[in-house]
Amino acid sequence: MTYESPTVLDAGPSDGVDPDEFVRAAMRWHFDPATGSRYWLDRADRLAFDPRRDVKGVDDLMLFPDLTDELRDVPVADLIPRGYGGGARLLNVFDSGGTTGAPKRVVQLDDWMRHSTEQVDQRLREHGLPVGAQWLTVAPTGPHLVGDVLQRAAGSLGGPGLSIDMDPRWVKKLVAAGRSNEVESYTDHLVEQCRRILLTQEIGVLAATTPLLERFAREDDLLERINGSVEAIIWGGTHMDPDTRHLLGTEVFPDVPLIGMYGNTMMLTALLERVGLSAAEPCVFDPVSPYVFLSVVDPDTGERAEVGERGQVIVSHVSKSMLIPNNAERDTALRMRPAGGQAGDAVADVAPVPTVQGETVIEGVY
Amino acid sequence: MTTAEVTGPVYLDALGPRGPYRTRVPSAVTDVSGAEVARLSLVPPVYVGRALGALRKAEAVPAAGLDALLAAAGEEFATGTVGGLGVREYEHLVSRTSGTPLTVVRAATRGTARFVSLARSSAEQGRPRGAVSDRRDPVLEAGHAVWARRGNVFAVNASGNHPGVHRLWLEALALGYRVAVRPSRREPFTPHRLVGALHRAGVREDQLMLLPTDHRTADTLIRGADRAVVYGGDEVVARYAHDPHVLPQGPGRTKILITADTDWQEHLDTIVGSVADEGGTACVNATAVFVEGDPAPLAEAVAARLSRLPALPPEDARAVLPVCPLDRARALGSYLRSVATGTRAWLGGEGLVDDLGDGSAALRPAVHQVVRSSAPQLRTELPFPCVWVAPWNRADGIAPLRDTLVLSALTRDDALLDALLAEPTIANVYVGDHPTYWMAPGVPHDSYLSDFLMRSKAVAGAP
Repeated sequence: MTYESPTVLDAGPSDGVDPDEFVRAAMRWHFDPATGSRYWLDRADRLAFDPRRDVKGVDDLMLFPDLTDELRDVPVADLIPRGYGGGARLLNVFDSGGTTGAPKRVVQLDDWMRHSTEQVDQRLREHGLPVGAQWLTVAPTGPHLVGDVLQRAAGSLGGPGLSIDMDPRWVKKLVAAGRSNEVESYTDHLVEQCRRILLTQEIGVLAATTPLLERFAREDDLLERINGSVEAIIWGGTHMDPDTRHLLGTEVFPDVPLIGMYGNTMMLTALLERVGLSAAEPCVFDPVSPYVFLSVVDPDTGERAEVGERGQVIVSHVSKSMLIPNNAERDTALRMRPAGGQAGDAVADVAPVPTVQGETVIEGVY
Repeated sequence: MTTAEVTGPVYLDALGPRGPYRTRVPSAVTDVSGAEVARLSLVPPVYVGRALGALRKAEAVPAAGLDALLAAAGEEFATGTVGGLGVREYEHLVSRTSGTPLTVVRAATRGTARFVSLARSSAEQGRPRGAVSDRRDPVLEAGHAVWARRGNVFAVNASGNHPGVHRLWLEALALGYRVAVRPSRREPFTPHRLVGALHRAGVREDQLMLLPTDHRTADTLIRGADRAVVYGGDEVVARYAHDPHVLPQGPGRTKILITADTDWQEHLDTIVGSVADEGGTACVNATAVFVEGDPAPLAEAVAARLSRLPALPPEDARAVLPVCPLDRARALGSYLRSVATGTRAWLGGEGLVDDLGDGSAALRPAVHQVVRSSAPQLRTELPFPCVWVAPWNRADGIAPLRDTLVLSALTRDDALLDALLAEPTIANVYVGDHPTYWMAPGVPHDSYLSDFLMRSKAVAGAP
């Protein structure tokens, strides 16, 4: 039988529920033996606190340890809250990119997909995206969240979606092995597929990863076509440094609005760039109340960074379908104040965590 | 004159197709003490891609008037104010960041100016005698060859060990290549100044660019060019060994050979100079000395001479030793200690780090004697005066002398010289009393660069 969930937990992104109240409802749901997932119920005893009693709002999510490493090998069925009973509609299992070892897995249930798509749809409409225009998405699909988010957004905006798939794990492997010839061949292969679509179809919205957009910058025929007929470009899936963003926005695609998207698997959705920023301003991403909360901290001390300072991005996902609190991402960002008085931080100019290099000696004089 | 100090940050912008380009957050260039002295704009891959596109569309620098242009650029480099820096300020910054002794930097300024002014005729030295540079040359009527470029865009991923490394790519420019230089992040001042001087002399911004990048983006540049020279260690050499578009410039493993028919004591100045002049940081500084007979007296004499070199900040006019950040000096010291196990230390056995007290350290010379000519230590090239002395005899043959940029042979044995010249892995053979670092315009460094950049094309029936 399906447990009667508190209605606050079913709230959509436009319902304006109080995020602290939402978080409390989520704690009751995920840690009640009748409704919580096996994953969380198994771990409840190991926590040094009682989530149902001690987590009174968004700020208390930081009581949780970062347990996301365990998502690498937990059976995905254990992640689904029992409260859904037999009615859980599992749409997708997504994997993280796997840059830090085996991928972590999360589940996307039908109700969450609707909330996620609705908030992405809303933000894109605020950006003035055309309704009913044809999309081309060039992003990883299958186990990867980003392609799914984009294709559902296209559908939500009434745009038939054409797409080119890609395998980022294979590319990462090639890069790590120094096989740059093969990386180049693979990128050529993607560009060729895009060219066939861009030159024969009427594409109104182009969604692609940063490296692909950088690569398009070298193809004069594609630039002419994109600048001539595309109405919006959405970039995401990887980072974009501020100089690249400025160059793409002002020199490469001067006639097309460039809209940033920041998401990762543990967020289970994507954040869209704040509306109204110029290419010269930092690219700000606001959280998604009441589901996705961000904080920017000093990676060494865990202390909150000052507003405007760079720190490590900590993400919490809270929904009826999943709870992924206090996940330390491999990203750094500037801490910003969120728009509309939302809880937590907004982030800007997201960048990868710099790799630490020790002092090593390479022989020779260079 | 007093030392030229620069106040306030120096901005080293990228020099791209539309002129100087400054990134939002330029990267700090620090001196040997760790203090920031300049801000270098590292351009992202999309900038590199666009710049390469512009280079590809640009015309070659015309041959007419090229000598005058190069002479003017050389003069500007040696005496002008380029990018806001006078030559003394420039030399001070190079010395403080690369740790190269100031006198070495100053000599390199004059030398580079000379190389710049002679770049066209130097490049011409590599032209096969059967080929002409211009298809309008009347000799073509008989059916000859035209010397033609193998590509249009040349990139160099430069090093910062010595300002002289930037003399090489000028020949590519003189041969009509459009050139992109990625400077060393440690010492970007020399290429910035040289590119600026050439622009001022008339080379267009779409013909020659300075593209500072991070390590990852450098690959975009190298791959996007038709021909590239890349400086680095053995790993870099191995990585590009089978790429016909890339000419890697790896460790020089420069050597000196002294046979029994020659008294080394008459050549001690040359031997010591080969090890330690230029701060000992060049690929043409000697890494190993092979002695036919007992190597101990030579090792002792070289050590005695090198032990007198003073440890001073690099900008001191009396400085002769290289300086680097203290932690790097310590890393080099412990690395040398581990490599030198089983050898006899004549100098440097008690450490080579001379703490200068400001976060930097001078690297004191090291002289070690190995037991045999096949000792693995003989391949260890380090960026300070560090030499391995080995016994050598006729039975050892050429094998220990292989894999060498410059081999100075102090010998009267003609047959041996022929064998050294015939050895494919020895790039240059200097005979007699020439220091290993001797170079001159028009004399190949690692073969003529044009061997890599040019080909001869048959042309028949040309008007």
